[in-house]
Amino acid sequence: MIDCRNIHMDYRNGSLTKHVLRGVDFTINPRDRIGLLGRNGAGKSTLIRLIGGVEIPTQGKVVRKMTCSWPLGFTGGFQGSLTGYDNARFIARIYNKPYEQMRGFVEDFTELGTSLRMPVKIYSSGMRARLAFALSLAIEFDCYLIDEVIMVGDKNFQDKCKAEFFEKRSDRALLLASHSVDLVQQYCNRAIVLHDGEAQIIDDVHEAVSLYNAL
Amino acid sequence: MASVQDGFRVQVRVIQALTTRELMTRFGRQNIGFLWIMVEPLLFAGLVGLVWSFLRGPEAYGLSVLAFVVTGYVPLTFLRHSFGRSASIFVANSALLYHRQIKVFDFILVRVLIEAIGTMMAFVFAAIVLIFFDLFPVPQNVGSLLAGWAIYAFFVFSICTILAPLSEVSEVVEKLVPISVYISIPFSGVFNLASWTPPNIREALMWSPMVSGMELMRYGVFGDVITPYYDVSKALGISLVCLLAGLILCRRVRRMMSVQ
Repeated sequence: MIDCRNIHMDYRNGSLTKHVLRGVDFTINPRDRIGLLGRNGAGKSTLIRLIGGVEIPTQGKVVRKMTCSWPLGFTGGFQGSLTGYDNARFIARIYNKPYEQMRGFVEDFTELGTSLRMPVKIYSSGMRARLAFALSLAIEFDCYLIDEVIMVGDKNFQDKCKAEFFEKRSDRALLLASHSVDLVQQYCNRAIVLHDGEAQIIDDVHEAVSLYNAL
Repeated sequence: MASVQDGFRVQVRVIQALTTRELMTRFGRQNIGFLWIMVEPLLFAGLVGLVWSFLRGPEAYGLSVLAFVVTGYVPLTFLRHSFGRSASIFVANSALLYHRQIKVFDFILVRVLIEAIGTMMAFVFAAIVLIFFDLFPVPQNVGSLLAGWAIYAFFVFSICTILAPLSEVSEVVEKLVPISVYISIPFSGVFNLASWTPPNIREALMWSPMVSGMELMRYGVFGDVITPYYDVSKALGISLVCLLAGLILCRRVRRMMSVQ
């Protein structure tokens, strides 16, 4: 279970303050598949970063009672100047997983071949997404935080993601920020619609999608 | 208690991983790699030592000038590198803050640790070479040499925990970090022994943990030829206060940071 209690988040630049989230409350239960919908700048990535502990809310609290991945998105989590293998070794170390096993899985899942010997900074977003997903799948979290990024992949990658997340790991929880209404409708059992810093938690995904479409 | 132990184990793992990563990104795997870290303090201390020996003759106050300069400058390069590398250290490493178990404090600890190890290697290397040519005394008291080094390194580390968060919130501090090195030189005990100074100044110098550390290190090297002045409890007390202030600052700045 992951509990978000009255989360507020402000970003400040000089005298200008932007209230991105104004009191968000919800719970991610084990096996929950939550779609996170909202327009650009509504605070989807911010919410995911707060749940992942990358940033700390201005007010309120995130209580994690299950293991939770880092936010899998376009940025973050890697050291650009290191190779794919070196990043994998680093992540294996800090999450206390045997590297040998991880290496095999990463080679298999990413299909990046010799690119894994190249620094991550030259990777395309699709390649980065492959590496991030492979590493987080190898670690086996209870809850995965996914920021958009499935959509940058090609068909082969999307199929792999679907197989890994929705078939093999159907017992895990998932928070999926996406603009792809189809993806949310197909795989999520609940949805959150973010608008004006407030979150509406809706148990009927179709209702959530029509609310989102009306924004 | 179990959770404290687990947390500690996680931090040890993180620090090991960060150290390896830092060594790889900074020195790479090509040519002499990690050994580069020794080159600068060696060249710096060696060249300054030679210049001083020419200007002031090989001995002053009954001490080998070259040995005196090496014992002073090698720790000083550690201080300079540690302060310099503390500036903007959080933002530079922010991609790694995606992993919750990595704390901003770890970044500082790892950098200072690497500098400290490199400095120690440089010191040992320089001493061995110079002892071979009979330009450096065989350390008389290794215990006090190590104790002095520990006090010195601990104080430098505690100051880094203050400089690092301040440099994130204030551009002025970020620009002033290099200057902090020069400000600290008169209080670092590099150029003189406390016993050469008048008693009232000596008293004041005891407020600087670096002087206590430096005096102990030099006593460890030169032995009873010199009279060391140090105040271990004051040195540790001041360092602990600085460390506490630094930890509070780190925590506050981390809460405000936006990570990209």
